Amino acid sequence: MIFVAVGTQFSFDRLIKAMDEWAEEHNEEVICQIAGGEYTPRHATWERFLDGEQYNQYIKEASVFVSHAGMGNIISARNNGTPIIVMNRQYELGEHRNNHQADGIKWMAELSGVYAAPTQEILYSLLEDTQALQVSSANNTEKLDQLTQFLGDYINTGKIA
Amino acid sequence: MHKKTKILAISSPGGHWIQLNKICNRLENQFDIVYATPRAQYKSSAKKSKRRIYNITDASADSKLNLIPVTFQILLILLRERPNTIISTGAAPGVMAILLGKFLPIKTIWVDSIANVKTLSRSGKMVKKHANLVLTQWESLSDNKTIHYRGSVL
Repeated sequence: MIFVAVGTQFSFDRLIKAMDEWAEEHNEEVICQIAGGEYTPRHATWERFLDGEQYNQYIKEASVFVSHAGMGNIISARNNGTPIIVMNRQYELGEHRNNHQADGIKWMAELSGVYAAPTQEILYSLLEDTQALQVSSANNTEKLDQLTQFLGDYINTGKIA
Repeated sequence: MHKKTKILAISSPGGHWIQLNKICNRLENQFDIVYATPRAQYKSSAKKSKRRIYNITDASADSKLNLIPVTFQILLILLRERPNTIISTGAAPGVMAILLGKFLPIKTIWVDSIANVKTLSRSGKMVKKHANLVLTQWESLSDNKTIHYRGSVL
């Protein structure tokens, strides 16, 4: 099963349509969370919103998680050991308030288990061989440890150490 | 017994909220943290734990009118909870909380979203002169004066 999700704030019809057309051509279940999108899939299963538990369950069960370039989904995919393909919303197409997702996928792709698909062609080529997609093995919390240690000290002392 | 320092942790839903939780999960044992976010009732983190999460109106730069109710909601939370510190990862609700915190006065911390790589987020730029501490999650964006880097959520 491939799980597709676009977040809750904006629709992302371009990605949903691409995955619906992919589902038509492939013998694999595709489940989409489409938010307020106008395009409703004909070949994929879809819901507008999912509760947190169902959402996490789908991420866990999916062979691949296809997502907008949202931070939350990257973290959830890594927590569930599922490879994730991210496509960025484009400001030019009216898909977001700004183009930060275009920058986002560049650094996200640096993380293990995260693949960037700036175009539908790249998305489809990544889906050609999902076995080749690696899951993040590194669960490195060094930077989070550093951040929270610093914040704890700052809250207690008011000093920027 | 020593009373734990109270913190208000506030953000928009989605990635901002997940980053905020990544941080606050590590601070829970040290501090008394209350949360505020839109659609709080759907958060599984609220159901599973004893966390107190205030529901606020979902305001963004696209729904400026909603900034009015959200500002009042945050003000009421601040008056009721009297936190020592406000921490936010963004976006619009965090800006309003930091601006209110500045005048009350409450110590304010802005942790700019990791999604903003090349420049500080738009809301980060709005608060950078007002928050007591502004952190970026990208070392290259730090100037070591007003914008600091001390690690990241990932």
